[in-house]
Amino acid sequence: MPGTDSCRLYTVQVLCLALPTVLTYGRRRPLTFKLMITFQIGMPLFKVPSLSDSLGLRNWGLDSSGNNRACPRFYSSLINKAIADYLLANGFNAALEHFQKEAGMPQEIEKKFSGLLEKRWTSVIRLQKKVMDLESKLTEVEEEVNNGAPTRDRRSPGEWIPRPPERYSLSGHRSPITRVAFHPVYSVMVSCSEDATIKVWDYETGDYERTLKGHTDSVQDVAFDAAGKTLVSCSADMTIKLWDFNGYECIKTMYGHDHNVSSVTFLPSGDFVVSSSRDKTIKMWEVATGYCVKTYTGHREWVRMVRVYQDGSLLASCSNDQAVRVWVTATKECKAELREHEHVVECIAWAPDSAQPAINEAAGTESKSAKRSGPFLLSGSRDKTMKMWDVSVGLCLFTLAGHDNWIRGVVFHPGGKYILSASDDKTIRVWDTQNKRNHKTLQAHPHFVTSIDMHRNAPYVITGSVDMSVKVWECR
Amino acid sequence: MSIRAAEPQPVEDVQGDNRWMSMHTHFLRDAKEKEPEVLLIGDSLIRNMAHSPLWKKMFEPLHCLNFGVSGDRTEHVLWRVQNGELDQIEPKVIVLMVGTNNHGDTPEQVTAGIMAIVKAIQDKQPASNLIVVGLLPRGEHPNPLREKHTAINQQLAEQLSEHSMTTFLRIDDRDFFLPGPKGGDPVTAANGVIPRDFMYDFLHLTMDDGYQKLCEPLLEEIQNCLGTFVKVESTSFDTGSMAGDIANDIKQ
Repeated sequence: MPGTDSCRLYTVQVLCLALPTVLTYGRRRPLTFKLMITFQIGMPLFKVPSLSDSLGLRNWGLDSSGNNRACPRFYSSLINKAIADYLLANGFNAALEHFQKEAGMPQEIEKKFSGLLEKRWTSVIRLQKKVMDLESKLTEVEEEVNNGAPTRDRRSPGEWIPRPPERYSLSGHRSPITRVAFHPVYSVMVSCSEDATIKVWDYETGDYERTLKGHTDSVQDVAFDAAGKTLVSCSADMTIKLWDFNGYECIKTMYGHDHNVSSVTFLPSGDFVVSSSRDKTIKMWEVATGYCVKTYTGHREWVRMVRVYQDGSLLASCSNDQAVRVWVTATKECKAELREHEHVVECIAWAPDSAQPAINEAAGTESKSAKRSGPFLLSGSRDKTMKMWDVSVGLCLFTLAGHDNWIRGVVFHPGGKYILSASDDKTIRVWDTQNKRNHKTLQAHPHFVTSIDMHRNAPYVITGSVDMSVKVWECR
Repeated sequence: MSIRAAEPQPVEDVQGDNRWMSMHTHFLRDAKEKEPEVLLIGDSLIRNMAHSPLWKKMFEPLHCLNFGVSGDRTEHVLWRVQNGELDQIEPKVIVLMVGTNNHGDTPEQVTAGIMAIVKAIQDKQPASNLIVVGLLPRGEHPNPLREKHTAINQQLAEQLSEHSMTTFLRIDDRDFFLPGPKGGDPVTAANGVIPRDFMYDFLHLTMDDGYQKLCEPLLEEIQNCLGTFVKVESTSFDTGSMAGDIANDIKQ
């Protein structure tokens, strides 16, 4: 009768053998596998011999006294070959000779076994660590399920992150949502959609407020000025519109782009807006007159997004040409072209000052003197990665990988510790910047998540999706 | 003499509601706005795929557009290809499946029609991988149309083997046949019976089991072409092969 201990041992061994398959087999049935393995770890170990049964390995492995009792012949010969290879590689020739004689093995050792013993040895340790990580993560999640997520007053605002389920799921748009944005002052937010409208919602009550109509094609982006008095929007109808956010009137329509206008934002002063377009240019417009005052050219393809640095001195843009560019606002000079992404770069975000310590930590700047001060820029791409750039030197500091599909939106947590991202893999993810780690994943929508925003002061995150809904997530 | 199947031709609006042209207009609009990585074009077998639950699970994550129109013959698809549907997009993979509606054409003519579309697609999108899906069997019992499709598939396989960036994906007819009595008898083209579980009207595929037989190998081929494996949801009903997979891994 095998005792609990030996059962535990062989289950762990089976797990160790099974895990690489699970981890590398992310192709056709990843969900089932992940679930199974979590299940496996979550259950008391001695209760789940099913996997080992199905492998026909029930009796394989070492019992508690270390005797290799009933190992099938295939495995024992495999182990013998690996041992022989190890002995050969390390020059234990006498031992090898005796071993081969005793084990009744042929003289020559097949190449494919080279390094196998060490590989197995290290992989077991690595996988054990992985198992422990998963177990601790599971405990954490179990705790969240049983006791609810941590309450807000027990954590500092810098730690607040969105928690499922969503507080509101708002429907009303008749086509996919293209962008969501918080109002800087009032408890409202706006969403824009391919249905050519902009809608205003109260994110605290979940109420629909009103619809702004005027564009004649898909609205691509919306942004507020710092005081929240004016809203700017841009559209595939090639226009940019300014809206008075008190009377909800369109006060100006600006013409000048030759194609779909993909993104728009205010300069900090509120006197100018900048826009990017599929016509490959970026344009600056004077709010007072509605005239185009500057055109930035250089991108070779559709410019997807443009964002202004906090002090207004720099612009960043990203494009279908797979590059991120940084421009000097005043001179139209292209200060840097950052190329490392392997697909269309969809979105960018400037890091707030609060994020600098975490970014420095993540970039591995050890000595104090070499501390980077940025500005730092984050980009998200269809290549499923995000990259953090030090704009002052034009270097990519690190890459965040984990999303399973295009990345469509990135935003910095105001506390500086986290990054939030939205993706076509239908999730939003919270990233621990300092450790360059995927901290939390939320299954956000049943379809692509196209946009994400986080409020600067209030504990809310909003997302928009191709499923035509806008969701409000409370942070705790 | 020109071959009707290989001469571009819009569908004549015999019903009088102009639906075919409306579809084409909408496709043009989609092509202008969306940026598909995969484009599927063809007849109802392509069109109805978008209504299968498998579409949402397997194809939507790949950023696919579906330009299928029910009833389309090769000359209609050829017309659509030549009239703008491929002009504003840069898909990495294009899937073509058409030909079952070409009544009255000989296998040679249908093949010529499909090859004309292949050429038109490659003229428009020389950098895209093209997957041509062979014609599926039709009719409950063996019939001349099944033989015609077999002949077309043979000709396509031969002619496409010399094309670069082109894959001919042939689904085995026997996949759609009922197993023989007692499950043991060999099923051949001569005696294969198609159940309604797979083709509800002995031509169109059922939304789940029927399309699974087409979608699984097609997805595999698309993913091969894309070179990356976008995570899609599990669609397989069995997980029994897991043990085998693990055993294989250990052997390596």
